[in-house]
Amino acid sequence: MRREDFLKNPVEHVKIGSSMTIDELMRQFRGSGSFGAGRLAAACDTYEKMLRDPECTIFLALSGAVVPAGLRTLVKDLLRSKLVDVIVCTGASMVHDAIEAVGGRHYRGDWLVNDGELYKYHIFRIYDIFVPEEDFVRLDYRLSGIYDEIAADRRGGSLGSNEFAWELGKRLKDSDSILRVAYEEEVPIFMPAVRDSEFGFIHWLHSSQQRDKEILLVDAFKDVPTICGIFGASPKNGMVVIGGGVPRNAVQSAAIASKKGLDYAIVVTTDHPEAGGLSGSTLKETVSWGKVKGDADKVMVNGDATMIFPLITASVIERLGVDFKRIPYLKRVKSSGRSVD
Amino acid sequence: MAGNMKVDRFCGNCGSHNLYEYPLRMFCSTRFDKGKNPIVETLWCCDDWNEVSQECYCVREASRLKKRNHSRR
Repeated sequence: MRREDFLKNPVEHVKIGSSMTIDELMRQFRGSGSFGAGRLAAACDTYEKMLRDPECTIFLALSGAVVPAGLRTLVKDLLRSKLVDVIVCTGASMVHDAIEAVGGRHYRGDWLVNDGELYKYHIFRIYDIFVPEEDFVRLDYRLSGIYDEIAADRRGGSLGSNEFAWELGKRLKDSDSILRVAYEEEVPIFMPAVRDSEFGFIHWLHSSQQRDKEILLVDAFKDVPTICGIFGASPKNGMVVIGGGVPRNAVQSAAIASKKGLDYAIVVTTDHPEAGGLSGSTLKETVSWGKVKGDADKVMVNGDATMIFPLITASVIERLGVDFKRIPYLKRVKSSGRSVD
Repeated sequence: MAGNMKVDRFCGNCGSHNLYEYPLRMFCSTRFDKGKNPIVETLWCCDDWNEVSQECYCVREASRLKKRNHSRR
């Protein structure tokens, strides 16, 4: 590179207006191009490209307490608007959704609180969010009955975690539920670590009661060919990661196993790469594995997803406009009668 | 309960209790396991009572509420 190549793009200073929209602010951030603001603006551009790419299947990887922190409706609306094609998440993410689907709530609290006092009142804390124990218990009670129904329907046959999620969604009547909307819109939800959540403990309740009845069998290994099949059938694949952990790894592993590699990648995380954990690993590092293509459109935004993810989606939805209609690639192929195998 | 203090036995201080409707009704995991109705009164008790590992306010709050409701009649 020549010296002048390094000095082509001067920083444009951010100008704020009194009636500025979110996308206008993101475009100002793009002009500055610096630090977190620059990465946030780049993430908006990358998500817009994914959505406008007619051959791209979009995976949303969710970890952390996204639903308790108030992003349940946002995720549900993304599914309803077909702006996400597949969810890969922790079991806990969907437990939190199911808690609200059966009438429970998460409450705004405070992190400077006496946790011993909370224990005595049977209130659980997720940083500055409170959840009453009875909301978990009611979910346990209700879902153990649903597990009985699913097990009876399946007669000893096992389900992948995505099939399990749809079986739950089919039986939850709340139209604001992510599980319900995923079932209605036929959006797969994979929960590779499904047992590591309240769903696992509800299974314990259900199976302890069954005696000579059928026991629900969820086989997370069954997910592998299914998710790899989705990758393989899509000409291009993109991921939006909130947090990281098992969901991010599951998406990236499927990208390798299907020999596709990701064409687009956005990671929003508070983790850092130095400790070697996956949640903080850089997208540059993923290129060495073939998880993300070397020439992929990729950006990592370091920060709190409860702020960053709504900003990205609001900006991109504004850009797309009200008339934008997206039909996911695999649905188009399916409706045309072509095989996706 | 902490220490060796003798306590009055209630569902609300039993090791099998979880909340159902705070503070008056509890979900009993032992009864659920046995196929019995798991929803019990906080101030009830049965022969399966076992010591809770950490004290909570269930019995105290249920007793207060019960007392208040009685005094209103």
